[in-house]
Amino acid sequence: MTFNPLEQRGIPLDRQLRNWRELNVEPTDPDHADPYTRCRIIALNGIEVEALLFSHQFARHCADLDVKRQLAEVRYIEQQQQKVVNWLLPAPASALETTIAYEQVAVDLTAWVARMEPDPYLKQAYQFGVLEDFDHLYRYANLYEMIQRRKAERIVDGLTEVIPGRPTKYHHRHPHDNVREPYDKTTAAPISKLHALTIMSAEQQTMNFYMNVGPEYMEPIARQLYQEIGLIEEEHVTHYESLVDPGETWWERLVNHEYNECYLYHSFMETESDPRIRAIWELHLNMELEHLHVACDLMRAHDDREPEEVLAPELPAPVTFEPNKAYLRELLDTQIDLTTLGTGYVREAHERFERMQENIHGGAEPPSEQVIDLHREQYGTDYRLETEGEHPAPELRQQVKR
Amino acid sequence: MTEDVIQLLLGQHGQIRDLFTRVQEADGRDRRDAFAELVRLLAVHETAEEQVVHPLARRAIDAGAPLVDDRLAEERQAKELLSRLESMGADHEDFLPLLAELRASVLLHAHHEEQYEFPYLRHSCNEKELRGLAVMVRAAERVAPTHPHPGVETGVENLAAGPALALFDRVKDAVSKAISTDDRTAG
Repeated sequence: MTFNPLEQRGIPLDRQLRNWRELNVEPTDPDHADPYTRCRIIALNGIEVEALLFSHQFARHCADLDVKRQLAEVRYIEQQQQKVVNWLLPAPASALETTIAYEQVAVDLTAWVARMEPDPYLKQAYQFGVLEDFDHLYRYANLYEMIQRRKAERIVDGLTEVIPGRPTKYHHRHPHDNVREPYDKTTAAPISKLHALTIMSAEQQTMNFYMNVGPEYMEPIARQLYQEIGLIEEEHVTHYESLVDPGETWWERLVNHEYNECYLYHSFMETESDPRIRAIWELHLNMELEHLHVACDLMRAHDDREPEEVLAPELPAPVTFEPNKAYLRELLDTQIDLTTLGTGYVREAHERFERMQENIHGGAEPPSEQVIDLHREQYGTDYRLETEGEHPAPELRQQVKR
Repeated sequence: MTEDVIQLLLGQHGQIRDLFTRVQEADGRDRRDAFAELVRLLAVHETAEEQVVHPLARRAIDAGAPLVDDRLAEERQAKELLSRLESMGADHEDFLPLLAELRASVLLHAHHEEQYEFPYLRHSCNEKELRGLAVMVRAAERVAPTHPHPGVETGVENLAAGPALALFDRVKDAVSKAISTDDRTAG
């Protein structure tokens, strides 16, 4: 079934405001909800937060009061959408449980995007990044068992494996090497633009989350691990945002943002297992369709172009949360020892990488290694959830303390 | 592994949470057995909190008294729900909705402790003291009865012979006694 958001009308903007009662949504259940429902909530929150931050930046660069008012009006509704979406997160839950769910999102969303991305350079960027999120999931899962005395398999529910990826200590690259080449807005497939925006938004909210919840922990290892992985999120946002063509006009970017929101709400409406949550995705899709029309009208008026020139003629196949175990194992097998050099990828540890490693580690083991050592001390071994057999990389197989 | 009392209680929060899921997903005899196990763990856990952790929190945390009063009120509420579940039995048609209510109240209670009590306790008590308390709670747990009616081994007979709530009270008595004995020896 094809769906072209440009041809659909949604709820008129002046009827989109919700009152307190309508905003007061029930959270999902921490133990009975579909883990991928939680993933969809997190992914959409990332999309909404990016829409808000982008709109604020746009307003700060815009002198036209009428445009600023239009942006403010849509933005207020998007704030309400963010409040509804993120308030669906399971409750009660700890920040660390939400963290593990964030990493599950990063793993299964990035893996799906990597599988679907038509451009080989962009695909490589996602394949490179996903092995790092995969390792973060493993490090936080070890922290979770240590400080909350519970296994992460209760959270990921066997849909995502919890095993080492590219070891976190090697993610600390010189910032120079985190900047990628952008796609070319005139030749890139519309789906490539949507993918870049989606993954950038997901990583950005992870960065924001860790920078705020990390200091709320008292346990020294938790505080340190959030700092370390928080700094890698900075690298990931740099990596993904540099994929987006900076030559796009503000109007074009606005249209792409609104279109991507339509795409994701539509995708999740198609794939959601919980009928109550599905109804919310459908409602928000019907709001986004009007936001898209506002953005398209602004583009026509100020950019003197038709939005159809930059958008896909219909929505691409729905973004789907599903297990990517075999795909991830194949990447573990072939790309675990990659790092970046300039805008490309290499296997050898080059001089700038080595210098960064020496400086940041300061001759000691980083928190991401300490967390595993501490877990081994307490439990005799690290925590893993291996559902598909032992680790494909022999050097990363489980060691048992004698 | 030398655990301290906070780690011990956190671990029990996780077990209680998972046991609720087990009761909710089982039926018949499995449900009755899982429920009896849940009742026992709740009894051990709440007793340890009431006898060991809350008194400590009252003393050690700034403005700890009202905080502990709130936790005790939550525990009383849970106990009432447990008592109603007990009298209706695990096969009653209203059992699962009421169990869901108990679960929500217990999970929220645990969440409050994890947010507002445990971190402050760890901050204001020394590690040796917290480890000593864990040893005391573990010892008390060992003397707690495991079955609603000693000598009766199956869930069905248990339910017929002695209500789970009676077990709750007996576990609490045993654990309290063990803890207070330990206290005297230690003091």
